[in-house]
Amino acid sequence: MEALIRPEFGLMFWTILCFALLVLLLSKTAWRPLMHAVEERERALKHDRHAAETARAEAEKIKSELDAQLSGLKSEIQRRMDEARLSTDKERELHIEEARRSAGIIVEAAKREIEAQKIEEARELRTKVAELSVMAAERILMHQLDHRTNTDLASKYLAELEKDKPELKLEN
Amino acid sequence: MGLKEILEHHIVDKIWSWVVLGPLRLPVSKHLLMMGIASLILLIVFPLIIRSRSAALAPFRALIEIIVLFLRDEVVEPNLGHKGRAYMGYFSTLFFFILVLNLLGLVPYGATATGNLAVTAGLALTTFALVNFAGIKEQGFFGYFSHIVPKGVPVWLYPLLFPIELIGLLTKTFALCIRLFANMIAGHIVILAFISFIFIFGSLSAVVGFGVAPISVGLVLFTLLLELFVAFLQAYVFVFLTAIFTGAAMHPH
Repeated sequence: MEALIRPEFGLMFWTILCFALLVLLLSKTAWRPLMHAVEERERALKHDRHAAETARAEAEKIKSELDAQLSGLKSEIQRRMDEARLSTDKERELHIEEARRSAGIIVEAAKREIEAQKIEEARELRTKVAELSVMAAERILMHQLDHRTNTDLASKYLAELEKDKPELKLEN
Repeated sequence: MGLKEILEHHIVDKIWSWVVLGPLRLPVSKHLLMMGIASLILLIVFPLIIRSRSAALAPFRALIEIIVLFLRDEVVEPNLGHKGRAYMGYFSTLFFFILVLNLLGLVPYGATATGNLAVTAGLALTTFALVNFAGIKEQGFFGYFSHIVPKGVPVWLYPLLFPIELIGLLTKTFALCIRLFANMIAGHIVILAFISFIFIFGSLSAVVGFGVAPISVGLVLFTLLLELFVAFLQAYVFVFLTAIFTGAAMHPH
């Protein structure tokens, strides 16, 4: 059994040699490519993460900007709508006023026309009345003047006329 | 054949021949073969999985990646700080080397190289070298050794504490070595003991032996699953402790 705990120095030498060579060779052939790949991937991951974070921050910034713009637009729309409402109110008022005025003018013209017509009709009525009354009077007079009176009168007027204008005297 | 022979047969390294390289007398053994297989797996399969872009290999790639990332984020960086990335190759290799050696010990006809004191001692020595290297590199030679003694200790205690801390460095390394070794062979010994129960009771009577066999096999299966867990756990513990020691050497405060 003492062979179990009696180290064989030759084998120790082999072990150290073997292990040292393995370290040298494997470092070059295995661990370097492996670590290289791993570090490459870690770097890519870090880069991706960084890029994603940057993009997110960018998106958030844009979103807040858009929000601000949107609220600005909202207030702008509100303002414009108020303005438009105000201006339409004013315009309507104006229209109504104008309509009222033109209606007044039309009414005035109609009134004048009516007045003129009224005067005209009154005048016509008056001439008609005058005519009628003259004709009526004529009739009445015709009726009242008998022949004797007429002759008397006529001679009386003739006498007067002869007296005034002697050159016209019939009997000389 | 006694339990001792069975244990030695299954746990102790089998040396097939010796290679003499100058003053070094190096064994060619089964545990060396296991290390060779583990090295081949790590050198061929891992780069293939990691570099391939095929969808069929993607789960394996993800598995390796998860483990390496866990080592980086939970083990190396909390202890070594940001400079730990430079040591990631070391820690990843250490973890997978120990893990593959542990798992090879569970494969039939395999042997647990990490259940050999020489192998764990070799790994612990590399940790010892790394701890001192990282400490000296980070703080300078004198800075490192002057910070070996914790801050706030009265000056008159320095002559006492300095050797203790130096020994502490060695004992930490030694503990690493023993911990991995003991954990890896303990499961094997328990499994062998359970299997031996069948034959011990069988020698009393064949009926008792057959009666004990299902219980033994059930316990063996349970221990095997435990060993599977321990294979991962000990690889993690070894790497974690190495990271703690290295971190302590780099940042003494």
